[in-house]
Amino acid sequence: MSTLSSNEVATGSMRLGFRAGRLMEGKAPRRLALAALALLLAFLSLYPLSMLLYGSLHTTPPGIAGTFDLSGYRQVFTWPTALLFANTVGISLLKTIFSLLLAVLFGWIISRTDTPMRGALEVLITLPFFVPPILTAMAWGMLGNPQVGVINLVWQRMFGSETPLINVYSYSGVVWHMVQYSTPFLFLFVVEAFRAMDPALEEASRMCGGSQWSTFRRVSLPLMMPAVITAFLLSFIRGLENFESPLFFGTPARIEVVTTAIYNSIHHQSIPNYQFASALSFVIMALMFLLVFWQWRMLRGRSFQTVTGKGYSPRVIKLGSWRWLTFALCMVFFLVSVVLPIGQLLLGSFFQFFGFYQWDMLTLDHYRSVLGNDEVWRAFRNTFLLGFGGASVTMLLGSIVAYVSTRTRWSGRRLIDVLAWLPWMMPGMVLAVGFLWGFAFLPGAITIYGTIWALLIAYVALGTPISVRVMSAAYHQLSFDLEECSRVHGAGWWQTLWRILVALAWPSFAVGWVLTFFGIMRELSASVLLYSVGSEVLSVVLLRMWENGQAEAVSVVGLMMMSLVFLFRWVQLRLIKRYVNAL
Amino acid sequence: MAEVLLENVSRTFGGFTAVDGIHLHVAAGEFVTLLGPSGCGKTTTLRMVAGLEEATGGRISIGRRVVSEPARHVHLAPDRRQLGMVFQSYAIWPHMRVFDNVAYPLQVRRRSTAEIRERVDRALRLVEMDRFADRPAPALSGGQQQRVAIARAMVFEPEVLLLDEPLSNLDARLRAQMGDEFRSLQRRLGITTLYVTHDQDEAMALSDRIVVMRGGRILQIGTPTEIYQRPNSEAVASFLGSPNLLDAVVTGVEAAAPDLSRFEVRGEGWQGIAYGNQSFSCGQSVRVLVRPEDLRVGPISQDVDAAWRGEVIASVYRGARRSLRLRTSAGELHFEVPALTEMRLGEVVQVEAAKSSLWTVASN
Repeated sequence: MSTLSSNEVATGSMRLGFRAGRLMEGKAPRRLALAALALLLAFLSLYPLSMLLYGSLHTTPPGIAGTFDLSGYRQVFTWPTALLFANTVGISLLKTIFSLLLAVLFGWIISRTDTPMRGALEVLITLPFFVPPILTAMAWGMLGNPQVGVINLVWQRMFGSETPLINVYSYSGVVWHMVQYSTPFLFLFVVEAFRAMDPALEEASRMCGGSQWSTFRRVSLPLMMPAVITAFLLSFIRGLENFESPLFFGTPARIEVVTTAIYNSIHHQSIPNYQFASALSFVIMALMFLLVFWQWRMLRGRSFQTVTGKGYSPRVIKLGSWRWLTFALCMVFFLVSVVLPIGQLLLGSFFQFFGFYQWDMLTLDHYRSVLGNDEVWRAFRNTFLLGFGGASVTMLLGSIVAYVSTRTRWSGRRLIDVLAWLPWMMPGMVLAVGFLWGFAFLPGAITIYGTIWALLIAYVALGTPISVRVMSAAYHQLSFDLEECSRVHGAGWWQTLWRILVALAWPSFAVGWVLTFFGIMRELSASVLLYSVGSEVLSVVLLRMWENGQAEAVSVVGLMMMSLVFLFRWVQLRLIKRYVNAL
Repeated sequence: MAEVLLENVSRTFGGFTAVDGIHLHVAAGEFVTLLGPSGCGKTTTLRMVAGLEEATGGRISIGRRVVSEPARHVHLAPDRRQLGMVFQSYAIWPHMRVFDNVAYPLQVRRRSTAEIRERVDRALRLVEMDRFADRPAPALSGGQQQRVAIARAMVFEPEVLLLDEPLSNLDARLRAQMGDEFRSLQRRLGITTLYVTHDQDEAMALSDRIVVMRGGRILQIGTPTEIYQRPNSEAVASFLGSPNLLDAVVTGVEAAAPDLSRFEVRGEGWQGIAYGNQSFSCGQSVRVLVRPEDLRVGPISQDVDAAWRGEVIASVYRGARRSLRLRTSAGELHFEVPALTEMRLGEVVQVEAAKSSLWTVASN
């Protein structure tokens, strides 16, 4: 080949191994980068998972020499533990059913009726989802306290009753607190399913002689079933993982679930029983794996059905004066799940002792003491440091993983996808137990346990599955042509990545970032196992103050946290409105 | 301007061969169309020229440069091939204004701001989109996006322009208009152009030469007239238009011109004169191609190449003309007559083929 210049031979010998357009140049550097990525992901998921197994067979706490036996598992397979599982499943099932009913009702109201101010109502209904559960848990602890709870005080004052109206320290208290969170979560799915439905399908049913009700029952509902089942399972799984509700409302009433049992056997026993905790963690994780696998099997092939569906403008049912009733229903949910707890926190923060609401008890002392409390400030700093750092690292990792698994045909991309998704089936508490073992097992020079890094690593691991999803969805919307067109017109691989893909996907990145930040701010179950003196985060400090009976100071910190949540939610909504919908 | 040369180029995906050893030479300034049904390998071929798909065999050169030769591990990245391309989806970047979209190829080549401004303005004027320079790209209609995509592909005066079904997403009227405009632009600038389409009318109207592809192979390369009038196989003949193909046997051969033979053919109940450029001997079975537009109804004149007699079994009024279907002893014949011709179903009529209109291809 005499026409081949030396320059071209050099280029050729680099053997530019990209295929079908997704194009990183040079095979060796790419393999190296992929291997590094796989190792990092394995450290975040596979490592704690296998260390959990190790720990469940190990007779002594992490870092102490011991022997191996099956006593942990023997303790798991006993009657009290079976009861524990029954409790966990029962509570989660109950709360999922209740919240699904509510979610379908609200979803229908928001998407299919002429209820006034539906846009605003939608924001209000989904708001509880973004409030850290620990805040509402503590607020409800004060609201629904059988002796001094505001609701009971008002009830007794108004009707002269001797017995309290409600007692949140009960099964129904646990379920009720969970319902507040899973209703908005399910609502998001259901409303999306309602909207993705082609109105012509319903109109066709009406034209064939079906009544409004039989159309709903025989056409709309079956069409929504895949989305509803997915949501149901997801919500059920989250119910199994839930820690705050059973901790706050179950433990005082001697109602134990799996997460609180793990927590208690490590934190609230004279001799921490790590082996039982690890074995229990491993078993619950295995159960979750089965559930997630089942869900995955059921959804195969239709998971994006509702997501990529066109945006239809569905037919709106005219409710007449009934629309004020539907409006009121939505408002009541918002009032009860957001306004009431915030009101309680406000009330609690200004009175000397919660439960004793008299003019002469008004005080600003709690604000003074909280603002002068170094521990609180340190927790704020830690939470923000971890929030910013964790959200950035998580989203960056998620973007890379999503890029590799959706935009390339590189070999090994499936492995990376699975590794990044593994933590999805590990409750925060289980992952934390795994990391406790994992950190203790690292060579002595690397001390992670006891530092803020322990929390960061756990947060990144917990957040990665969601960040991968957010970014995959963003990439899916961008056709390959956009990248290929850039390459053909003279831009290199990096240039294309930066000027086309990043430039187009950053709004989703930002939205995902805020979501991850929320996640970190509210995280309690992993933090409570992994924190140590100096690396406390807000949720842990709040829990400790609550356990010490400082409900008033808790209210002050809670309010500060709450205002941050609303600020971030507002920013996120603006971002979505301006950029994500525009594309 | 540069020529494009494909020598024995192949592309296999696992066990599937998408493109099977094709040879093609596109001369500098020429407009060549790859035509074929979906899955024939035409888009894969175009993408291999672009560098978006890696060839697994053969050699591709643009100008004097080898851009792809798997045997020697040569594969030049797309951004180093200096091409312009228009995608089927237009691939207009939604986060940029019209101006930025068109300026992109110049920006990544680090041209000066003044040059960029001047060239983008010129390119946008060329496609009559200069008024829209500051519009956000998503606010454009399909036809406008297409113009922007063309402006972007030509802004840095590439050596070769590649177009992947650029008109298929437009409605029929706009398609014809954009096609004509684009062709005159291409003639004026004299850019070597490789064009992919599955639409035969588009291919006929635009191309200097057409490459008919099927199953990853090239069936025939020729000017639109050659491809239509003198197809080299039944496959090419039936891909263009909807011709009548009749079975016949050769009864006489004589040379009519260099590279053209005159055959006497006999079919079931008819005989006539047909031309062809393949060699057939007496007694050989062939297929005779009769284009519907070459048939006319009437009393048979003395000097025709062939004639048939049959019963009208379908008559469809189409506004400008009327489609008829005739059952003859040679099989069914379909053809068209002026719309107002009175024709009853069941009526027996005679049709004749225009002089020198029959063409023979091998029967398979």
